[in-house]
Amino acid sequence: MISEREAAKYPFLKGAVSLVETLSLKVDDLADPSYSRVLDRGEQRVSEAILEGIVSASLGDALTEMLSFPVAVMFVTVVGDRFLDRRYALAEAVRVYELLKGESETRIARMAREEFGWNLRLIRRELDGQIYRFELHFTDYLRNAASFHEDKWKLVNRVMRDGYVLLTRVEAARLIQVEVEDLIRKRVSKHGRIALPDAVQERVDRVAKLFEEHRARIGGEELPSEVVSDAFPPCIRHAFEGLMSGRRASHMERFALTSFLVNAGMDLDRIVQLFVSVTDFDEQLTRYQIEHIAGLRGSRTRYTPPTCATMRTHGVCYNPDRLCKRIKHPLTYYRIKIRDFKKKGEGRPAE
Amino acid sequence: MAEQGWGSVPYVAEQFRRFYASRAERVKAPPEIKQREFGFLSFGGRSMFRHIAFDDVNQLRSHLAENTPAHAYYSAAYYSAPEAEMEYKGWLGADLVFDIDADHIDTPCKADHDRWRCRACGEEGTGRAPERCPSCGKAAFEEETWLCDRCLEAAKYEAQKLLDILIQDFGFSPGELEVNFSGNRGYHVHVRSPHVRGLGQLARREIVDYIMGIGIKPEYQGLSSRMRGGPPSLLEDGWRGRSVKALYDYINDATPDAIKALKLGRATTANLLEHRDKILRLLMERHPSSIVRYVDPKALERLMEAAVKEQASAIDTVVTTDVHRLIRLPNTLHGKTGWLAQTVAIDDLEDYDPLASAIAFTDGTERVYVRRAPRFRIGDETYGPFEEERVELPLAAALFLLCKKAARVER
Repeated sequence: MISEREAAKYPFLKGAVSLVETLSLKVDDLADPSYSRVLDRGEQRVSEAILEGIVSASLGDALTEMLSFPVAVMFVTVVGDRFLDRRYALAEAVRVYELLKGESETRIARMAREEFGWNLRLIRRELDGQIYRFELHFTDYLRNAASFHEDKWKLVNRVMRDGYVLLTRVEAARLIQVEVEDLIRKRVSKHGRIALPDAVQERVDRVAKLFEEHRARIGGEELPSEVVSDAFPPCIRHAFEGLMSGRRASHMERFALTSFLVNAGMDLDRIVQLFVSVTDFDEQLTRYQIEHIAGLRGSRTRYTPPTCATMRTHGVCYNPDRLCKRIKHPLTYYRIKIRDFKKKGEGRPAE
Repeated sequence: MAEQGWGSVPYVAEQFRRFYASRAERVKAPPEIKQREFGFLSFGGRSMFRHIAFDDVNQLRSHLAENTPAHAYYSAAYYSAPEAEMEYKGWLGADLVFDIDADHIDTPCKADHDRWRCRACGEEGTGRAPERCPSCGKAAFEEETWLCDRCLEAAKYEAQKLLDILIQDFGFSPGELEVNFSGNRGYHVHVRSPHVRGLGQLARREIVDYIMGIGIKPEYQGLSSRMRGGPPSLLEDGWRGRSVKALYDYINDATPDAIKALKLGRATTANLLEHRDKILRLLMERHPSSIVRYVDPKALERLMEAAVKEQASAIDTVVTTDVHRLIRLPNTLHGKTGWLAQTVAIDDLEDYDPLASAIAFTDGTERVYVRRAPRFRIGDETYGPFEEERVELPLAAALFLLCKKAARVER
């Protein structure tokens, strides 16, 4: 059986979850004053996530720390906003990363294997001044590291042999962070309304209000309805100008451009006209394809443009600039540029 | 028989029908056939018949014999309902597949045997089609692509590099790999392992980048001024050794003009030209970081990028990252050549000659009128070049020209 302290540190562990279950807590019990500390800490977990982007580790009162996790998860679930889901899951995962950095290799390995099924070996190898303590099978590695932005996480920049990737202790902790984030996001994304006692509902409302106040800063805001071509990232600008000048473009480049324009909110008729006017594409076929990308046909999912890394893989990332170094997605570039324009606009003296 | 169009489609279809009538039995089922989607292109038809499923190999064989497709494909993916529309298929996973196509490799012979024609103004040229027509500026072309020993050897070489990386770096056993000649200009490599089935697009994209050396950074291959000491890495596993070997070969082979063309900056260029032997010796005998004082970091990045191309494998980036891809079924005919797509044992790849082994039609001859064709080889015989002439050819050669739409049957 898992210790209370261990469950407080890592309340997402299977052992911790079953420990909480043995207490068979009911929602209505939470209104009891004896649980006010648990509710306080639960609320705090969510507000720390919103404000700081990381949940603190408050291990002094292990029982409260352990019980406040399912409470916080319930709060987030009831608020039911996918940006909050992500924000919260990430903040809890960063908390775990910070704690794991202080754990032994064997503890890290045990969690990785037992909770997340990693194919992991303990080793010790020194290379270029780094001490590698693990070998992880590349499939487990990629499941977690493939979304990372930094060069050092690219598989091509890792030492890999016979299917196993070398990892330092801190790197292993960082990859577990991703697993934890996924796990918690899956838990909180099962949105649903629950009838809550007033004392509890009050806290949910407070958390929801706090989130709304900070939504714009966190990145959940809407894009403007007008398409701002000055804010296009270089790759989209390249594709756009290429299209206008009648240059041949790869399928990937056309897809990136179309899905970008769709997501930036350009009117579908305008996109169709754009393609038809400068190429000799068949109008009906073009419209069909664009409506497909926009999610009006077929699987009904609206396609988002490829990530920067995908653009690079397919050779359609052109002239990356300074902002490109900080972002992973063409739409993020667009979002940031537009925000900058707005700020500059606001700074202008009124006439 | 009345005058037929270029390619004499009904004639070719009849030959394919005869082939499948007797040889459909040789088509093998892909593993877990029930969970695969199949797709077929018919003669003259423009759209793909897809979302087709078979319970067993006999159904598949009868389908081939009864319908005589020009092209036959199956999914790298496994589905719970492969015959359903895309969104209801129930994706269960997919083999990891790689496509190597001479189309994507810059072989010098393309200028000899490939041609393009602008759809708008009729301008013509040799080699690969340009981005835009030099005459009218439009970008729609008819392309005529041929293949020769050099193209096929180049594709095979890329396949061999790919196999080395898959086995040595990724740790796949040869038993998990299947290599197929595509029946036209390249090779397909399938990886069937429970480990890779569940990989998503992001993970597959990282595998593509690994195999092509995209995003490789010298500082993570041991080439940074912050590191000193340690043994040379030339013979180490993975990109750590491969990238340094690539640098060694590149610096060793590059002409002074090629070095200058990289625009590495005055100091680095001068160093590479004056201290070439010293740099090569350092790469061979010392830790790779010891060359950093001759090549500044920015220049090193560019140099490595250029150098790794030779060590990387030129795979098609889209095929591998598409987890719903249909891919050609081995032991079926390729409608653009009349040759067989076929599985090649990894140990036999070195000596494999598709122009001898993948020939499907071995008996008989046919009289054709050829509008234009470059010289080509089938088995031990070479044919052509032809221009506006009537010839009687062995059936395989005649069908090849017909499938390429370069000839029509003369009766």
